[in-house]
Amino acid sequence: MAEIRTYALIYVALLLLGTGKFVFFEFDQYFTYTMAMGGTILLAVTKSLLIAGFYQHLVEEPRSITYMMGVAVFMVFLLAVAAGYSIQ
Amino acid sequence: MSELPPRTSVKRWLVTTNHKDVGILYITTALFFLLFGGVLALAFRAHLWETGGTGLLADREFNQAVSMHGLLMVFWFLSPIATGFANYFVPLQIGADDLAFPRLNALSYWFYLFSGIMVALSFFQGSAYAGGWTMYAPLNVPTYTPAMQATTGGTATILGLALFLISVTVGTVNFLVTIHRQRAEGLGLWNMPIFTWSWLLTAWMMLFAFAALFAAALLLLSDRLFLTQYFSTDQGSGLLWGHLFWFFGHPEVYIVFFPALGIMFETFQTFCGRRLVGRKWVIIAMVLVAVQSFLVWMHHMFLTTINLEIKTLFMATTIGISLPFDLMVFALIYTMVKGRVRFTTPFLFSLGALVLFILGGITGVFLGAVVLDYEFRGTYWVVAHFHYVMVSGVTALVGGLYYWWPKMTGKMYSETLGKLNFAVYFIGFNLLYFPQFLAWETPRRVFNYAEGAQFYHQLSTVGAFVFGASFLIMFYTFAKSWVSGPDAPDNPWEYSRTAEWAVPSPPPLENWTGRPSYASGRLEFVDDSAAATDGGVAQGEGKAAEATVAHEEEHADHASIWPLGIGFGTFVFFLGLAGITPYVVQFAEGVAETVEYEPTREALSGLVGVAAEPNIIYPALTLLGIAIMGVSLFKFGVEEFNVPEPAIAERWPFEGVDNTKFGVWVFLASDVMVFGAIIGGYIFLRLHMGWGQWEKVPFASWPGLLNTYVLLTSSFTVILALVFAERKNKKGLLGSMLATLLLAFTFMGVKAYEYGYKFSHGEYWWTSIEYSVYFVTTGLHALHVILGVLIALFMVYRIVSVDAYLEDHRPVEYFGLYWHFVDIVWVFLFPLFYLM
Repeated sequence: MAEIRTYALIYVALLLLGTGKFVFFEFDQYFTYTMAMGGTILLAVTKSLLIAGFYQHLVEEPRSITYMMGVAVFMVFLLAVAAGYSIQ
Repeated sequence: MSELPPRTSVKRWLVTTNHKDVGILYITTALFFLLFGGVLALAFRAHLWETGGTGLLADREFNQAVSMHGLLMVFWFLSPIATGFANYFVPLQIGADDLAFPRLNALSYWFYLFSGIMVALSFFQGSAYAGGWTMYAPLNVPTYTPAMQATTGGTATILGLALFLISVTVGTVNFLVTIHRQRAEGLGLWNMPIFTWSWLLTAWMMLFAFAALFAAALLLLSDRLFLTQYFSTDQGSGLLWGHLFWFFGHPEVYIVFFPALGIMFETFQTFCGRRLVGRKWVIIAMVLVAVQSFLVWMHHMFLTTINLEIKTLFMATTIGISLPFDLMVFALIYTMVKGRVRFTTPFLFSLGALVLFILGGITGVFLGAVVLDYEFRGTYWVVAHFHYVMVSGVTALVGGLYYWWPKMTGKMYSETLGKLNFAVYFIGFNLLYFPQFLAWETPRRVFNYAEGAQFYHQLSTVGAFVFGASFLIMFYTFAKSWVSGPDAPDNPWEYSRTAEWAVPSPPPLENWTGRPSYASGRLEFVDDSAAATDGGVAQGEGKAAEATVAHEEEHADHASIWPLGIGFGTFVFFLGLAGITPYVVQFAEGVAETVEYEPTREALSGLVGVAAEPNIIYPALTLLGIAIMGVSLFKFGVEEFNVPEPAIAERWPFEGVDNTKFGVWVFLASDVMVFGAIIGGYIFLRLHMGWGQWEKVPFASWPGLLNTYVLLTSSFTVILALVFAERKNKKGLLGSMLATLLLAFTFMGVKAYEYGYKFSHGEYWWTSIEYSVYFVTTGLHALHVILGVLIALFMVYRIVSVDAYLEDHRPVEYFGLYWHFVDIVWVFLFPLFYLM
C-alpha cells in the first residue's frame, strides 16, 4: 500500500487529466473533433489505469485479477465493436 | 449464527445456508418449474392438433403459453437444476466444507424462487409476457403490443427475469470464488472432477453472458416502466436488442448444456469402468467452446440487416465451434469402446443424451450457414434442432438425478422402473420432436400451418403426452424409492471415483470428519487436530464420517433468516414496480397538457392507452418492499456470521487475495459487462443514427466537469479512509467516510440540478432516443452512487457504534474497490455525454 503522498500525487494527476478532456473540446480552434476525441479517449484510459492500478491496488494484486478484468473489458469491446461494425 | 433445526422442520429450510440443503431446494424448485413449463407445452401442443388450433387456447393464451414455456424452461428449470447439482456436489467434489459465501448462496436461491413466483403471478396481472421467449424488439414494449392493454403482467415477467439474473450473478460470484480458492490440498485444476470442470466453465460463461442480458433487461424495464425509447424507435432498436440478447443467448446454450455434459462425462467414466479417453483434451475442448461461445452470436441475426461481411465471419466462427464438440463426442464414444459398459439407468440417460445431441448438433450446422439459414430461420426446423440440443441436456440432467439420487437421499431406486422411465422418455422425445423436422416449413410460434403438415403435428402432440408421461414415471420411481427403497451404501457404483462417493449417503452436514487432501495422489482425510501428531490419519472410503450423521440434527451451523428476508423484500419491491407504469403514463399525460417542447409532445402521442388503470396497491407494495429490504439488509449486515477460509487449500491462480476481495473483483467484472453493454448500446445507437447527427443532451459541459472533480475527490477520500483504518485512527476514518458521503451528495445535487434544468425546459427521458440514453445511462450511474452512499452510511454507523474496521480494515478496502469502479465509469460517461 502506498503513502498518502503518492495517493495525493495521483489525485492531482487525475484532476489534470480530467481537465485535459474538457480542454480538448473547449478549445476547438486548436483541436479538430477527431483530435479531441482521440486525445480524450487516451486521457480516459490513462485515468482509468491510474485509478485501477493505484487506488484499487491492482498493481499489488495477483496478475490473474488484472487478466480477469482485462477479459471483462475485452468482452465489452468485442460486443461494441462487432455490433458497431455490423451496421457499417 | 444460530442452531440449524432438523430437516423435518420447515424452519430448517427457511434459515439454512448449507450447500446441500440449498442444492435440494434448487433441484425441487426447478422440477416444479419443469412441470409448470411442461403443462404449458402440453396445452399448446393439444391446441396444435389441427391447423388453426382446436380452440383449447384463445389466440392470446397461445402466445402466452408458448412464450412462457420457453422462458420457464430455459431460465427457471434448465439452469437452476444444474445449479442445484452444482450446489450439492461441487463442494463435495473439491473437498470444501461449503461454498465460500453460504449466506449469499441462500440469497441466490431465494432470489431464484421469488423470481419464479413473480413470473407465475404475471399470469394473473392482465397477461404474462407474450412476445416470444427471445423478447425481440419492438414486440417487447407496450407500444407495439396493442392487444396488451394491461401491461402489468408482461412487466412483471421481465421484472421476474431481472430478479433471476440478480440471483445468477450472486451465485456465479460464489461458485467462482469457491472453485478457485477452496480446493482440497493437492487438487490442481487439471485433476478436478470433470463435472466440477464443466461447472467452473459454466460459471465463467454466466458471469459475462448473463451480465449482457441483465443490461438488456434493465433497458427493457426502463422502457416498460418509465417510457424510455430504447426498443421502440426505428433507429436501431431491434438490432440493439438482437445484439444484447444473443451475446447472452448463444453462450446460454452452453451454459445450459455444459453441466449436462459434465454429468455425461462422469457417468460414462463410472459405468464404462474407465477413465475418460483424452481427458485433458476434453478439458481443453471445453475451454475452447467457452471462449468461442462469445464469438458466434450473430448467427442468430442472419436475417437482420447486419452486413454480409460480418455474417460470413460469424458463419466461419459458428462452424469452428462444432470442432471441439466433435472431439468431446468422440471421447465419449471411445470411452465406451475402451471400457465395459454397464447399462444402468443413469448411463442409459447419458447415452440417450449423446445420441440426441449428435442429431441436434448436425441439424444445427444447417442453421450456421447463411444461405440455408435464410430458408430455415423462423421455422419448425429451428424448434426441432433447438429442442434436440437443449433437451439432450435435460436427458443428461435426468441421468444425473438418477446417478446422484442414492447419495442425496440414502435410498436406492428400482432399476426396472428407471429403465422403463428411459424407454418411455426416449420414445416420447423422438416422437415429439423428430416429426417437427419433417414439418419444418411450419412457421414457429403460430398455430396455423399447411394442411399437409397436420399428420406430423399430430404425431408430435402424441409424442408430447408420451414424453410428459415419462416424467410421471420418473416422479413415481423417486417417490417409491423415498418411501420404501433399500438403503444406499456410501458408493453404490463400482467405478465412481469422485470424492462425494467417499462420504456416507446422505453426507453429514459438515461433509468431512477430517480434512480432505490429495497431496499423496489419492483422496485421504487428514486429522489436523492436536491429537494427530503423526502427520495425519487417512480414513479411506469415508467410513469414519458415518459417526457424525447422528449429530447432524444438533450441529450448530450456518443458519440465517436474513437471506429469505432480503429475497422476500426484493420480491415485494419488484411486484410493486410492475404496476407503476400507469402512474408514469399519468404523469407524462399531465406533462403533455402543459409542455411546449414539440418533440416531447410528439413522443407522448404514441403512449396513449398503453397502460392499465392505476392501482394504488402497486406503489404501496413498492414502499413496503423497500422497507422489508432495508431492515433485512441491515440485519444481514450486523449479523455475526463467520465463515473462516480453509487454512490449507489449492488456490491457483487466485492466491494472494482473500475470498471476499476476490468476490468483489468478480462482481466488478460482471458490473464492467453490465455498464459496458449499456455504454456499448449508446455507441451502437449513435453509430446507427450517424455519429454527428446525435443530439447532445446536457445543457453545458461544466456540470460534467464539476462532477468529475467531485467524484475524483471522493475517490481520494475513500483511499484516505483506508489509510486511516490501517493506522487504527478512528477520527481520520470517520472524517474520510463522512467527506466521501458529502461529496457523493454533492454529486447527486449537481445531477439533480442538471435534470431539473432539462425538465424545466420540457425535456424528459421519453423526448427522443438521445434523451432516453442520456437519462438511463447517467441514471444507472447515479443509482450506483446511491447504493454506495447506503453502504457508506452503514459503515459510518458501524464505526460510530462498534469502532468497526480498526482491527480489520478490509471492508473499507472492499468498499473502495466498488467506489473507485463507480468513479472509473464516470471517467467515460463524462466525455461520451458532455463533450463528444
